[in-house]
Amino acid sequence: MPAVQVENLVKTYGDGTQAVKGISFKVDDGEFFGFLGPNGAGKSTTIKILTTILRKTSGLANVAGLEIEHDAQKVRKLIGVQMQDTVIDEDLTGRENLMLQGHLQQMRGEELKERVNELLKVVDLGDAADKRSAYYSGGMKKRLDLASTLVHRPKILFLDEPTTGLDPQSRAQVWSYLKGLNQTGMTIFITTQYLEEVDRLCRRLAILDHGEIVAQGSPSELKSEIGADRITLGFENGNPGTGSLKDKAKQVLGSLGGITEIVDSDEGIVIYAKNGGFLVPDIVRAFDNAEIKLSSIGVSSPTLDDVFLKHTGRRIRPEEIDKSRASGMFGRRRR
Amino acid sequence: MTLASDSYYMFQRWMKKLVRNPILLFFSLFQPIIFLVLFTQLFSSFGTLLGGINYTVFATAGIVLQNAFSSAFQSGTAVVDDIKSGFLTKMLATPASRASILLGRLLSDAFRVFAQSLIILVLAYGLGVFPITGFVGYVLILFTVAFFGLAWSGISLALGLRTKSAETVFGIAGTLTFPLLFMSTALMDKRLMPDWMKSVSAYNPISFAVNAIRDLIMIGYNWNSFLLSFGVISLIAILTMGATIYEFKKVVS
Ligand SMILES: Nc1ncnc2c1ncn2[C@@H]1O[C@H](COP(=O)(O)OP(=O)(O)OP(=O)(O)O)[C@@H](O)[C@H]1O
Ligand SMILES: [Mg+2]
Repeated sequence: MPAVQVENLVKTYGDGTQAVKGISFKVDDGEFFGFLGPNGAGKSTTIKILTTILRKTSGLANVAGLEIEHDAQKVRKLIGVQMQDTVIDEDLTGRENLMLQGHLQQMRGEELKERVNELLKVVDLGDAADKRSAYYSGGMKKRLDLASTLVHRPKILFLDEPTTGLDPQSRAQVWSYLKGLNQTGMTIFITTQYLEEVDRLCRRLAILDHGEIVAQGSPSELKSEIGADRITLGFENGNPGTGSLKDKAKQVLGSLGGITEIVDSDEGIVIYAKNGGFLVPDIVRAFDNAEIKLSSIGVSSPTLDDVFLKHTGRRIRPEEIDKSRASGMFGRRRR
Repeated sequence: MTLASDSYYMFQRWMKKLVRNPILLFFSLFQPIIFLVLFTQLFSSFGTLLGGINYTVFATAGIVLQNAFSSAFQSGTAVVDDIKSGFLTKMLATPASRASILLGRLLSDAFRVFAQSLIILVLAYGLGVFPITGFVGYVLILFTVAFFGLAWSGISLALGLRTKSAETVFGIAGTLTFPLLFMSTALMDKRLMPDWMKSVSAYNPISFAVNAIRDLIMIGYNWNSFLLSFGVISLIAILTMGATIYEFKKVVS
């Protein structure tokens, strides 16, 4: 029985926004599943529907074999959810937050107390457990939020960008903890901007763009679909190059053989080619002849970044997202 | 029975939040205390107009109710906070009974009004306000006020759930408080009011509750006014709770 099964799922918000336009996918029991997509793709909307918070407009959605709206109460006992915006009660201590969550999941007494102690240690909040969570750092809050979704030992965990805003060290900790949870049999459904971790940990993933699934499969499948190496070209006078420079460069590249795709990117131009290494001297020579100065040239085998870029025409940049979120602390993010 | 236990945990959460924000408590108690100490002194000569009574004794019923009224109005803003922070959503993702979310909040409102009224009554006692119905009178007063607070919480909750804006709830509360208070028997006997105000105050729900409490303090057991006030408060409670449940269902689904 799949942990999550979705068919033709549609969500149209009250204001007419079509956030999810008939998506279908399946997550197997025990899978570590990545759900990727650029901003506004509909990831959070999908998670909210699957976790019974939001009503779907149409389509089929089962979680743990249960129809999410008909069996909502049963589903809620089996899942844990961490929303994109950190949600804890800042007037309560870390411990109290977890206890409340456990109580609402019908846990009681010693069993709950022990579970809470165990989780506080796991997320490294043992020392701050009895401090008001208002005084926690952003990362501590995020970790507390994660712990609060785990109190009742859910079978399926839904995580909406759980590591965004964490420093690299805590991020690595969270990922390795998630890996451990997955090894104990927990199904993990995660949206994230961190493609390297997705590549390492997710068994399968889906890419969502404008409310539609544009690719799905295992990381290696998706990367091999690209079937070419990536060559990144940087230009001397200025990045993304002025329009004319870029056009000229593209003309130059067009005259070369073996190139499968030319894509604009913020850093310059990205080309995909089979056996990219062999093409480098040709490229350099061609640009020399055309008197266009290259500042850098890099060859790499395809990554999930390339997969993402190919299917969405955009690139995920976690660092920039972190920065924009940090500077936008006072305004709430668009949901 | 998860409704009962869930409501209890929700109630517990609100009580913790309340005592950890003493500033909120301070502000809501500050106004009634000013009324009790300064206002009654300023207008102490009303006592003579009212037939040679102590005005502080007269006004205590009104002050206790005014406090219930303004504390209850904070309920809606607390729920707006929960909506904005996403905490409501987080609770909705658990199997907790939906009704417990409202019930826990209402219980905490009632308890809070109960406790604050007790503080005011103790202070009033220090100022020479001794209800002639004694201990039983105190108990009846506190329950009436708490019930009254509950009924008004409903308005504020419904407004909060509907507008999702703390400013709106505060604005409406601020606008309503004084006209409603002044056009009732809270601070003045109806005999001394202009005619038009007399008729308004006769229908003002605050007057019913004030009269019941004032009777317990100054006259003794007047079951007519007591039962009448419970009838009126119940009616308001049914209306406000109906509105609250209606708005809550819209937010939750
Ligand atoms: N409550 C709402 N009412 C109307 N439109 C909404 C609502 N919530 C989200 N949307 C819109 O639905 C679309 C999908 O939003 P969603 O939050 O699901 O995207 P996302 O993939 O999670 O994006 P991000 O990476 O920025 O978190 C967006 O266009 C968004 O503006
Ligand atoms: Mg999102």
